[in-house]
Amino acid sequence: MTATDSGGLENKSLPQKSVPLVSMRNIQKSFGSVHALRGASVDVYPGEIVALVGDNGAGKSTLVKVMAGVHAADSGDFEIDSKPANIRTPADATAHGIATVYQDLALCNNLDAVQNLFLGRELTGSSLFGRRIRRAECEVRAREVMTRMRLGNLSLTRPVGAMSGGQRQNIAIARSILWTPKVVILDEPTAALSHSAAQQVADLIRGLADDGLGIVIVSHDIHHFVVNATDRIEVMRLGANAASFRSKDVTGEMVVNAMVGGNEGVNLAG
Amino acid sequence: MASISTTAAPKRRTFGELLSSDLRALPVVIALIALWIFFSTQSDIFLTPRNLSNLLQQSTVVGIMALGLMFVLLVKEIDLSIAAIHGVTSVLSAKLIVDYGFSPWLALPAAILIGAAIGSCSARWVNWVGVPSFVVTLGLGLALNGIQLLLLPATARYGLMGTGVEYIAQTTIDGMGAWMTWLIGVALLASLILSGVARRRRAGLEVSTLHGVVLPIAGAGVLGAIVVLVLNANQGIPLPVLIFVSLLGIGGYVLNETQFGLYLYAVGNNDEAARRAGIRVPLIRMAAFAIAGGIAAVAGIVASSRTLGVGVFSGGGVGGGTLLLESIAAAVIGGVSLFGGRGAIHAALLGALVIGTVQNGLNLMGVENEVRLIVTGLLLVLAVSIDKIIEKLTGQQSF
Ligand SMILES: Nc1ncnc2c1ncn2[C@@H]1O[C@H](COP(=O)(O)OP(=O)(O)O)[C@@H](O)[C@H]1O
Ligand SMILES: [Mg+2]
Repeated sequence: MTATDSGGLENKSLPQKSVPLVSMRNIQKSFGSVHALRGASVDVYPGEIVALVGDNGAGKSTLVKVMAGVHAADSGDFEIDSKPANIRTPADATAHGIATVYQDLALCNNLDAVQNLFLGRELTGSSLFGRRIRRAECEVRAREVMTRMRLGNLSLTRPVGAMSGGQRQNIAIARSILWTPKVVILDEPTAALSHSAAQQVADLIRGLADDGLGIVIVSHDIHHFVVNATDRIEVMRLGANAASFRSKDVTGEMVVNAMVGGNEGVNLAG
Repeated sequence: MASISTTAAPKRRTFGELLSSDLRALPVVIALIALWIFFSTQSDIFLTPRNLSNLLQQSTVVGIMALGLMFVLLVKEIDLSIAAIHGVTSVLSAKLIVDYGFSPWLALPAAILIGAAIGSCSARWVNWVGVPSFVVTLGLGLALNGIQLLLLPATARYGLMGTGVEYIAQTTIDGMGAWMTWLIGVALLASLILSGVARRRRAGLEVSTLHGVVLPIAGAGVLGAIVVLVLNANQGIPLPVLIFVSLLGIGGYVLNETQFGLYLYAVGNNDEAARRAGIRVPLIRMAAFAIAGGIAAVAGIVASSRTLGVGVFSGGGVGGGTLLLESIAAAVIGGVSLFGGRGAIHAALLGALVIGTVQNGLNLMGVENEVRLIVTGLLLVLAVSIDKIIEKLTGQQSF
C-alpha cells in the first residue's frame, strides 16, 4: 500500500463542455436510523460515462435508486435538463428519460426476452377480456433493438431464467434502451460476469455513450473496468462525495486510496 | 458476428427446458392415461359413455374452483377461503331466492359479485397489512363458515327444487346442438390462432404452420369431437361442463394473450421487478383474488344446482373439507406451481380430471373413501415434487 493520501487533492469540479442531462445536488436519504446519503451529488453529461465508486455501504446504490425513482430523496436538488424534477416513482424516472439496469437485473425468469423487454410498457390493443398484447409488434421492436446491440442471435422466446449471466445482463441493458432514454444507470453491470463477458458489456456501454446517452455506472471493478471503460469517476464515502477524477488521468491505486482514505473515527461521527 | 436476419433459427432446447414449457403437461397426461388404463382393467363400466359423462360432470366443480385458484397461485399467493366463499355465496343466493323471492337471474350474479368482493378484501388485507395470504384467508374462511351457518334456517337447509336453479345441472345440449357447440368452439380457437398468425406474417416474423396452426386446431378439434361423441352417446353436453369449458377458454385467453395475464406471471416470479417495471402489483394481486372468489361462487352455483339445495355441507362443510383440498390439489397436480409464476390454463382441467378419475374409478372398484384420500394425497406430493425437479433441471429459480 502506498501511503499517499489523495483524498482532498482532486476534489475540484471538472470543466464540462455541455449542460448536464441530470444534476443531483446535496441529496439526503435515511432509512430509519441509517443515514445512507449525507449530501451526495452527481451530474450526468451527454456522451459521458461516469463511474460511482466507493466501499460497501457508501451509498452508491441508494444514490442511483433515488435517481431512478425507486427511493424518494428526503431532501436535495434534483434537476433534469436544468429544470427541477419531481421524481418519486420508477415511472416518473422513465418518463423523464432515465432508464435503469439494476444490480439484480430485475428480470422475470419465467418470461422470455420480448416479455421482459416490454414489461410494464407492452404495446396493446383492446379486446373483450382486457388489453391484448400486440406480440408480433413487440417482437419486431425487440429484434430491432437486439440487432442494433449486436445481440441478434439471442433467443427471444426462451425464458430468460434459462440463459447465461452475460445474456441476461445484455437483455437487461437492451430493455433499458428500448424506449430511447437520455440517461442509463447501471448498478454493478459486470459484477457477476466473466472477463470476456464484462468486456462485451463495456463495449456495449461505450456504444450507448457514443450515441449521446449519459451513462452512470456503479462498479467495484476499479482496476479493469472503472479506469479503462469510463470517462469520469466519482468517489463516494459515507453517503457523500469524497473525490472526483478523470478516468484517463488516474490509476486504480489512486481511486482506491480515495475510497479508503481519511476514514478516521472523526468522519464516522459526522 | 454473422449477419442477423429477422428469422434467426431458434436454438435446440433441452428436454428439461421443454418439460418446463411446451411439455409441462406431459407428466400429468401420462398419469391420467395410466389411471384410465388401470381403472378400465378393474371395471367394465369405467369406459362406458355413461360413466365417462359422470366423471366429467363430477370433475367440474373442483375444476372450476381450481381454475379460479390458479390466478392466486400464479401471483405466488394462496386463498384458503375459496371453499368457504363457495359455501357462503351459494347459501346466500339460496336464501335470497327462497326466503326473499329474488329471481335466480338476480341472485346468482349477486353471489358471483359478492364472491369477488370477498376475494378482493383478503387481497387488500394482504397488500396493506402484509399478513401472509395463507393466514388471512384461513381466518376469513372460518369466519365465512360461521356466517354460512347463521344464514341457514332452522332446518339447516334450503331446497332449490322448483326455483329454476336446478336447471343448470339438469340442462344438457345433445345431438346436433352438441356438434354446433363443438363447431363454435373450434371456430373460435381457429380464428384466434389464424389472426395471430396473420399478424406475425404481416410483421415479417416466422410462423411454423405445423406447430403453430395445424397441430393446435386439429388437436383441439379431435379431442373435442371425441368428448362430444362420448357425451352424445349418453345425454349430451351437461351445462356445467360447458360452463367449465367456457371458463377455461376465457381463462386461457386472459393468461396467454392479455397484459393482465402476463402481469400475473411477472408478479408471481419477481414482484419487485414487476413493481420497478411500473406494474401496480397490489392491484394485480387484488384482481387475482377477486377472480378466484368470483369463480368459487360460480362453482358454488353449479354445486348447489347439482345437489338441489344448500346447507351446512355447501362449500365442503366447515373448514372447506375435501372440496378445498381437492381444489388446491387439482391446480397443483395439473401443473400450477405453488412457488408462483408457472402454470397454464389446462392445469385446472387436467388436475380436476385426475382427481375425478381417482374418485370415480375407486368408487367403481368398491374401494372405501380412505383409499381415495390416500391416493389423492400422494398424487399431490408427487406433483409438487415434479414441479421442484423441473425447476432444478432447468435452473429456473422462482425468486
Ligand atoms: N432499503 C434499505 N433499507 C435500509 N437500509 C438501507 C436500504 N438500502 C440501503 N441501506 C443502507 O444504506 C447504506 C448505503 O447502502 P448502499 O446504497 O446499498 O451502499 P453501496 O451500494 O454503496 O454499497 C447502507 O448502510 C445500507 O445498509
Ligand atoms: Mg450496492
